[in-house]
Amino acid sequence: MNRIQCTGLCLALGTALSSAPAEARPVSYPGGWTVMQTNNGDFSSFHAHYSPTFQDSIGLYSERNWGEDWHFTGVQYNRLVKRWNTPGSQANLYFKAAVGQADPFGDGADVEAAGFVGIGADWETRRWFAAYEGRAYDLGFDQGARQSARVGVAPYIGDYGDLHTWLMLEIENQPEAETPTTLTPLVRFFYDVQLLEIGYTPETDELMLNWIVRF
Amino acid sequence: MKLMLTALAATTLTLAASVVSAQQPVAVEAATTAQTMVTAKVNGMVCDFCARAVTKVFGKEDAVENVHVDLDKGEIHVTLKSGADITDERVETLVKKSGYDLVTIERESL
Repeated sequence: MNRIQCTGLCLALGTALSSAPAEARPVSYPGGWTVMQTNNGDFSSFHAHYSPTFQDSIGLYSERNWGEDWHFTGVQYNRLVKRWNTPGSQANLYFKAAVGQADPFGDGADVEAAGFVGIGADWETRRWFAAYEGRAYDLGFDQGARQSARVGVAPYIGDYGDLHTWLMLEIENQPEAETPTTLTPLVRFFYDVQLLEIGYTPETDELMLNWIVRF
Repeated sequence: MKLMLTALAATTLTLAASVVSAQQPVAVEAATTAQTMVTAKVNGMVCDFCARAVTKVFGKEDAVENVHVDLDKGEIHVTLKSGADITDERVETLVKKSGYDLVTIERESL
C-alpha cells in the first residue's frame, strides 16, 4: 500500500474515529450500533460501538494523530454515569476508557501497550448546547492530555424528522501540539440517524469533518 | 284472539332474542379489534437525533404498530395493534431504555 492509499484510508477511518466533540453522545439505545468518524487536521479517528444497555457501549477505537505522529488502536468502553432529564433539557456525564496498542509511525519504533481515560459532559435544550470532554492518554512512548469544549445554538427549532442545524464554536486544547489552543466554528446537521459536522480552524488552516450514523 | 296475541308476542321475543344473540359476537369482535393510542409524556426529550432511540426501542415491541414523537410537547405517541395492549410498567421500562424519564401515561381508544 503506497503512502497516498494509506493516507486516504487513514483519513476515511479518521473521520469515523472522532475525538471529543462528535463523541459527546457515546452511548446509544440497547441493541444499537453507532459508527462515528472525526477528522480535524490534528488527528483522525474512528469509533464503532455497540450498546448492550442504555448506559454502556463497547467498541473499536482507532486514532491516527497527525500532529504528534502516532497511531492508536484499541477497545473502548463508554459509560453513562449520570443523566439529568428535565422537561426542557437533558444533561449527561460520561466516563470513557480504552486499552490497546500504539506506535509512532514513520520511525520503525516498536508497538507499545497504550490506553486512555476520559470524561465527557453535555447539556442541551432545543435551542442551546454545551459540551466538554477531556482525556489523558499513555502511549508508552508518550503521555499527554487534551480537552475540548463546545457551545452551540440552533438557528431554528425543527420538528421530529426535519433537518436540524446547529451553529457551534469549539475550543480545543492540546498542550503538546504545535498550536496548543484552537478555536473552530462549525455547523452541525442531523437528519434521521445521520449527523454531519463541518468546521474550519483558522489558526491551523485546517478543516474539520465529523459524521455519525446510528442503526 | 288472545292465543294469537300470545303467539305473536312470543315470536317477537324470540326474534328479538335471536337478534341480540346475533349482535353479541359482533360486539365482542369490535372490542378485540379496537386500537389504543398510548401517550407517554417524558422529560429530557429535546434532541431529534437522540430521540431516534424511541422509534427503535418501542418499534421492537410486538404490540406496537406505530410510534410518533412530538418534541414540542415532549410526548411519545404509540399506536398499538388491534386488540393489543401494553402495561404502564412496560411503557415506563421502554421510556427508560430510550434514555428518558416518564412523567405521565394516557390512553385513548381509536
